[in-house]
Amino acid sequence: MTPGVVVRGLSGGYAPGRDALRDVWFAAEPGQIVGVLGPNGGGKTTLFRALLGELPIRHGELVLPGRPAYVPQTERARLDFPVSAFDVVLMGAYARTPWFRRVARGDRAAAHAALERVGLAGEARATFGALSGGQRQRVLIARALLQQAQVLLLDEPLSGVDGVSAARIAALFAELRNEGRTLLLATHDVRQASDWDRVLCLHNRQVDFGRPVAVLSPETLRETYGGELIVLEGGGRAVGVGHHAH
Amino acid sequence: MIDLSALYIQRALLEMLLLAVPAGLLGSWIVLRRLAFFTHAVGTVSFPGLVLASAWGISPQLAALSAALGFGAAQERLVRTRRLAADAATGLLLVGALAAGVVLASDVYESGTEVDTLLFGSLIGLSATDLWLTALVAAAAVALDAALRRHWLGTGFEPGSARALGLRPVLADRLLLTGTAAAAVVALDAVGALLVTVVLVVPAATVRLLTDRLVRLQLGAIALAAAEGVGAVALADALNVGAGPALAVLGGALFAAVAGATALRARAVTA
Repeated sequence: MTPGVVVRGLSGGYAPGRDALRDVWFAAEPGQIVGVLGPNGGGKTTLFRALLGELPIRHGELVLPGRPAYVPQTERARLDFPVSAFDVVLMGAYARTPWFRRVARGDRAAAHAALERVGLAGEARATFGALSGGQRQRVLIARALLQQAQVLLLDEPLSGVDGVSAARIAALFAELRNEGRTLLLATHDVRQASDWDRVLCLHNRQVDFGRPVAVLSPETLRETYGGELIVLEGGGRAVGVGHHAH
Repeated sequence: MIDLSALYIQRALLEMLLLAVPAGLLGSWIVLRRLAFFTHAVGTVSFPGLVLASAWGISPQLAALSAALGFGAAQERLVRTRRLAADAATGLLLVGALAAGVVLASDVYESGTEVDTLLFGSLIGLSATDLWLTALVAAAAVALDAALRRHWLGTGFEPGSARALGLRPVLADRLLLTGTAAAAVVALDAVGALLVTVVLVVPAATVRLLTDRLVRLQLGAIALAAAEGVGAVALADALNVGAGPALAVLGGALFAAVAGATALRARAVTA
């Protein structure tokens, strides 16, 4: 079977001689959703950069089934850029489109289909910056769908989105899991992570990895979040964490 | 009435029409990528180079291009080694270049009235070589935009995803800055060292107020830059003023009018 994501002993960082992330070992199979938990600066985005091939790796190895697709947080995008939702989705086909050609008709049709899949077929011509936060997030997910990647890396995909968008996104994640794609979702929400297949806890190193029921103990969360953790004891479980500010 | 039979008028009009191409294509990216201050700086740092070129009898374009490339290298080094923000480094170099130009022009070479021409441009005496150089930059702007627009769009929209989308953000951005520097250098004839942004920023910034689509922005900026350029040549000829200041007045007035009208319209919609 094609592996989803295999990370063996990963250590690396941008600054010479200093690892931003070290000793990460995990394997996510096709059709699994992995929640990546950690505090601000704990290494979630650094891990994604490593998987995208943008982080200098000093030790370890990565096995990936092709180039992953990356879905950023919507606030990282320029809302004043003159692009429609459709224009943004089409970016997902740039890598396979020669510079001297228009994006292929098949890719344009696939872009419309991706927008339809995230429930935004009627917003294709809308300016990206004029959409709601949840709609913008769905457009960025549609862009990742057009990349046709087996692995999707999503940075806080449910953070700050409205209820309709959150439900639509969660349903889409389930569909993608059934298609055999591997999803890594950076999040601060412990309760969300408890619904997924695996959880990876990072604090500049790997704290733990495994099934949510085994990993999400108050002890592991304290080790992961340190002073940022706010534990609400509900039914004997840790259900809340510290804020996330950008 | 403008005398279209005069060679200097024909050349001035052709120069402005050719400049409209980089003004629309690259100017749109300059506005979208927030490079207006960089563009202004590239023009201004060429001033001491132009003074030296005039005194030593060397090509002004070559001197200006050398100054622009030196500026880019110095800015990168300042940002990298001194931990200065890019805009602070730009401001520092801009002021230094202006001061050096003034000292060279007034105290070393006593350039006199020629300083006005270097700072604000003159379309009288354009040579065929000047026009060919502008045509070359216009063609390069078309080629760069065609080859790199997806890179510039994806990187400008959200730089963190650019490489994951298969784009090459660093190379594409360096070529955008190089293209901007080249466009600024050929615009010096028309508008001088201090008014480069009047050509490369103002038309695109004006059209940006009216559209949310990139293609319309670029085509509209080309058309507006051409119209403003022709209007400025006519105004300069009629009033016996420099084309650069005439273009600045025209472009500024039109921008203010469009900005006012769009603000009023937005207020009416929300009321």
